[in-house]
Amino acid sequence: MGKVKDSKLTILTLAPPVQTRREFLKSSAVGGSALLLSSLFIRKVSAQEASRPRYAMILVDYNKCTGCRTCETVCSAFNNKIKIGEEELPGLGNPYLANIRVQAFNPDVDIPVACLMCRDNPCIEACPVEPDPKTGRKALYRDEKTLTIKNDKNRCIGCQSCADACRAKRVGAIIPNPQTGNPERMCTLCDGDPQCVKYCPYGALSYVVGQIDGRHYGLSPEKIAERLTELWYYYQPAR
Amino acid sequence: MEKLSGYHGVILEIDLASGKIDKKPLSPEDARKFVGGRGLGMKILWDRLKKPGLNPLSPENPLIFMTGPFSGLPVPSASRACVVTKSPHTSPLKSKYKSASTISYANVGGFIGPEIRFAGYDGIIISGKASSPVYLMIDDDRVELREAKKFWGMKTDEFDRKLTEELGDRRFKTCYIGPAGENLVEYAAILHTAARAAGRGGTGCVMGSKNLKAIAIRGTKVPPVADHQRFISLLEEARQGFKGAALTESWRRYGTASSIVTSSDAGTQAVKNYREGTFPEADNIGGIAAEQKIWVRDLACFCCPLACKKSGAVRSGPYTGLVHDGPEYETGTMLGANLLISDLEGLMKAIYDVDDYGLDQISTGNVVGFLMEAYEKGYIDSAFLDGLDLRWGDVPTTIQLIRKIAMRDGVGDLASKGVRKLAEKIGQDSQKFAIEVKGHELAGWNVHVSTGRAVCYATANRGACHLNGSNPRAQNNTAMNDCTGLCMFAQGGFRAGLLRELLSSITGEVWTEEDYEKTGERVYNLEKAINYREGFRREDDRLPDRFFEEPLTVGPKKGAVLNRDEFLKIMDNYYKERSWDIKTSKPGLEKLKSLGLEFVLKEIGS
Repeated sequence: MGKVKDSKLTILTLAPPVQTRREFLKSSAVGGSALLLSSLFIRKVSAQEASRPRYAMILVDYNKCTGCRTCETVCSAFNNKIKIGEEELPGLGNPYLANIRVQAFNPDVDIPVACLMCRDNPCIEACPVEPDPKTGRKALYRDEKTLTIKNDKNRCIGCQSCADACRAKRVGAIIPNPQTGNPERMCTLCDGDPQCVKYCPYGALSYVVGQIDGRHYGLSPEKIAERLTELWYYYQPAR
Repeated sequence: MEKLSGYHGVILEIDLASGKIDKKPLSPEDARKFVGGRGLGMKILWDRLKKPGLNPLSPENPLIFMTGPFSGLPVPSASRACVVTKSPHTSPLKSKYKSASTISYANVGGFIGPEIRFAGYDGIIISGKASSPVYLMIDDDRVELREAKKFWGMKTDEFDRKLTEELGDRRFKTCYIGPAGENLVEYAAILHTAARAAGRGGTGCVMGSKNLKAIAIRGTKVPPVADHQRFISLLEEARQGFKGAALTESWRRYGTASSIVTSSDAGTQAVKNYREGTFPEADNIGGIAAEQKIWVRDLACFCCPLACKKSGAVRSGPYTGLVHDGPEYETGTMLGANLLISDLEGLMKAIYDVDDYGLDQISTGNVVGFLMEAYEKGYIDSAFLDGLDLRWGDVPTTIQLIRKIAMRDGVGDLASKGVRKLAEKIGQDSQKFAIEVKGHELAGWNVHVSTGRAVCYATANRGACHLNGSNPRAQNNTAMNDCTGLCMFAQGGFRAGLLRELLSSITGEVWTEEDYEKTGERVYNLEKAINYREGFRREDDRLPDRFFEEPLTVGPKKGAVLNRDEFLKIMDNYYKERSWDIKTSKPGLEKLKSLGLEFVLKEIGS
């Protein structure tokens, strides 16, 4: 399963398939990629949010994950580069430093955990640092360019409120640095080429870049069909 | 101390008697000569044993968990750790030492090997005996012995969950024994993730003898590599090599279970206590049946692209609701075909129980098969079996017997010592169908049709071993592979020379093809020297009479039987090729010297 680029997020609000694993494997083998979505996508999106631009994240297909942790090592290697002479190279992939982390359970279930790129930003909401008057950013903020959550180390007070909020309200992706308390392990999306997606031997991870489509959001099927027909077929209904 | 690339250079040593915890430097010379895993573990065993005849269950017998230079690096399938110790389960035909036994090593995948390295160690040596049950907690530099009385007696599936709960972090990787290890069943295993195991050769028995219930490890480091640039580029090549490869697809879909049917068709399966090589009902327990009825998920060890482990659920019959791995080739053959059990759901229950009690799947299936045959032939009666009516294919009775073995209850006490001891007790001609070499039970690959397999089992240093290799070259290759931390199933996914190049980039030493094979040969000869010193001779490299005297009666290989003269001739050639004495099997002086094993010469009387 490769990248799903520039798909409209309205498409992604489909309910996750309710199937047994074997049926799922069969159908996905025939029908190509099928995505399991976190429930996050299913909540209502406000009109204001709908007008926001782009959105990107790593999606997990739990059916395909084998718990091998290759994602941890390639994530860590890319995001913890080492410099040899002038050349910057991937690190050795210490899983401890990875932004994606696989939790193994008994009976055998493996859950890769990475930043969910929440639209409502509970981590940023929890940050007590006053927004910078110029940029409007708190110490924890969303970088509009990469669409990822970042920490301004110069302004961060190491209070760990963001990590607490993430743990309490979402998946606990943010882990404070044990020395400084600065938030770490937020997904960087690897400059637009997420390594976990690229190297997962089992195609369990997908990179989704989307846009909440303001033109079609909340419209009736008839209305959407009419607009798409016009867009795709240059078709003008007879008057 | 010289800094070693590819290694932390630290071995963690724990004396359970005094509670003393030491971080000892790894000898650079040993690391170069014996690499890691099985080889380095064996060198440490040699250093610790000092003299032959040590009782394997005495506190002095070290229990060694070794990693290899690939461990902890994201090399595909480099997930294996090797547990090395002196076997509590093997014995020579004759020896002047009462407690003579072979070396033992058991290989385990999953996440334990890598995690030992993440914690900053190349290996762990455990000696002594704790005064009461403990478990070992390793969190990077922090190492503690913790009280485990409340866990003693707990079966592995429940314990796996309880221990993780107590540790409070899923990043801890754990391995442990079940009741079988606690009760000193000679073929008890060390379990990991409640289904993976360092299964063979009684490592769990030695762990139990030390009152050590578990080891839990968590770490934050990676081992250093010598040539980072080269390593990264070779790693990329290795990863790409597995993508879409036929080997990858086949392992992923069926794992080893694909062989349950193909081996049966080839007449090479252990069926009815090795009486036959073909199981007419193999289809009922094979990979295709399991895929349809049982399996839910494919699971992989650390950074492995093959995912040969299958976990599943029983959905019908009396064991509905049971969740466990399997069947794979060995578990499906030893507890299925070998016992004529073709009820897939019942087989799952047997596999689960053997893991849950912490027994070795292979030896357990072999022991049960032996008793079924002895009972059918009237050598033993129901009273011998504490009233059990132990018939071929009977799942509930098999399950009762498994419990008896693990608890050493009634007949289980004798059965816990394996088929050699059972045959000694039962007598008559039962030793003809006691399927063991050096006291270690054979695995799920039958022998009648294959002299290669015969040599593989007969010469294996840990006692019968199906992974040993059928000629010196193959054996040396396997031994070397077991030193690196790589899984042998994945070897074929690397282009020729790639593993050597990876090893060179990690250690900074040039590894030629010759070095690679010679190192395997060195390890194999060191093992042999330890065995020889204990009293093992050529006559111990034998096979049960069954394979020479009782031709297969069913299947496409009907009539197949080994020819004893031919076998002995091949064995003669084997010793010649090894430069071992044809009569005694003693390793040759010149060979040992050329391998840099001078230190064993005096000890084996050269």
